[in-house]
Amino acid sequence: MTALTQYAALGRRAVINTIRRPTAVVPSLLFPLLFLALSSAAFDRTTTIPGFPPVESFLQFVVATTVIQGALFGAVAAGADMATDIEDGFFERLLASPAPRGSILVGRVTGAAALGFFQGILYFAITILFGLTVEGGVVAVLLVAVTAATVAAGIGSIAVAFALRTGSAEAVQGAFPMLFAGLFVSSAFFPRDLMSGWFKTVATFNPMSHMIEGLRHQVIAGLSASRFLVALAVAGGIFLVGFTMAGRALAGRLAERA
Amino acid sequence: MVGHSVSSRRITWAIASRSLMLIPRVLSTFIPSLVMPVFLTIAMAGAFSGLVLLPAFPAEKALDWFIPMTTVQGAAFAGITTGMGLARDLDSGFYDRLLLSPATRGALLAGPIVASVLRATIPLTLLVVIAVVSGATFHAGAATVVTLALASFGIALVAGAWSVGLALRFKTQQVAPLMQTGVFLAIFLSTAQMPLEYLTGWLHAVARVNPMTNVLALAREGFLGEITWDGTWPGLVSLAAMAALTLLFAARQMRRVIP
Repeated sequence: MTALTQYAALGRRAVINTIRRPTAVVPSLLFPLLFLALSSAAFDRTTTIPGFPPVESFLQFVVATTVIQGALFGAVAAGADMATDIEDGFFERLLASPAPRGSILVGRVTGAAALGFFQGILYFAITILFGLTVEGGVVAVLLVAVTAATVAAGIGSIAVAFALRTGSAEAVQGAFPMLFAGLFVSSAFFPRDLMSGWFKTVATFNPMSHMIEGLRHQVIAGLSASRFLVALAVAGGIFLVGFTMAGRALAGRLAERA
Repeated sequence: MVGHSVSSRRITWAIASRSLMLIPRVLSTFIPSLVMPVFLTIAMAGAFSGLVLLPAFPAEKALDWFIPMTTVQGAAFAGITTGMGLARDLDSGFYDRLLLSPATRGALLAGPIVASVLRATIPLTLLVVIAVVSGATFHAGAATVVTLALASFGIALVAGAWSVGLALRFKTQQVAPLMQTGVFLAIFLSTAQMPLEYLTGWLHAVARVNPMTNVLALAREGFLGEITWDGTWPGLVSLAAMAALTLLFAARQMRRVIP
């Protein structure tokens, strides 16, 4: 077995592992959709507040946020699965095998990225059925899904790092809401122009605001390469930080074992 | 019989105490349940501060609208973490030893549910302090906290019974997302985000019949105006009904569980 096939096999296992557990995959898939349905019905009348960007509906305003949210949920499942592998001893068996150490990490992260991408496409397919208009068309959908996959890989890496540090699926699941902190203190759910005070300042400095706004622009206004590149750069930054953290956590765990 | 009932109480208290002792020992599982409601308060009151620009919005500040909801949510988290702890005990086999002991099933069930309610005092205290510090409006003075506490403890009991029931049903920590989903659904399919008159379509229809709408009205009563019996009793009745249903579910799972 070549290193590449080992990487692919562990990535495939990560995806199958997640899909086969309805208790993990169903909330990860449905929760963001539920939030979307909820916020669309709850905040639709707020689009009439002066200063709200021109949109057809709150659904159109918030759909890009939902795709990123879905990627985050799926990514946390990657961390929880890693912790389960540690708890049930599979991780130790992997270490005892000749598989490259990096494949343990890359497999999980690739799995998270693949799920993030397909979840993004699925969310758009469903919301289009419910009347969503994507001004940037199919290309915009793909751009948002690619960014979601990158974010999923980054946040998945952070979740895996947490799993490697704690070795507890419960701790990973318990910590998952914290991963949404960056999204909440941003313009993911409401326009920055309607915020005030220190919160608006924080949201302006939060890179997540710029990522979401870049993706949102593709949906509500049409394609814009510069705005997409800003969004992708933020997602790439999250990935770099997360993957470095996961690499260090794996090295730390291996050092403790040795 | 008297000796039996005293023994059951002691077992209940011992299990509840153990659950409370686990807070500092497994801090990584409890901290998110404490930090999350605080964070949501700041995030929602900040992000949605523009909501008060809507005509006839019932709160003076977005904080007054959101802090009772996040406090109730914090109490619900307290219940969920108790259920997650039970699922861990079931996973590790520790709970099997309890099931094989002479302790009554009722006492084993009551322990984590009592712990859920006691755990809820931590987020409640923290969020009341935050409400005071950040200038929330206490229209009804100290009574504002009383109705908030009633709603919080009630929801902690409901979420605790729900999560414990699920833990006993599935006997694995993997059920944690399902525990969270149920509670999130109950809270957000109500007036958690916006007043009933601003909700549109299906959400308006669901929130109108969701008992959580009454519970949130109870929690918010003193933050939005004076406390009245007419504004209080629907919340209390809703809590009683939800508690009865979830306790029944948990008791049913407890009867079925096999070590």
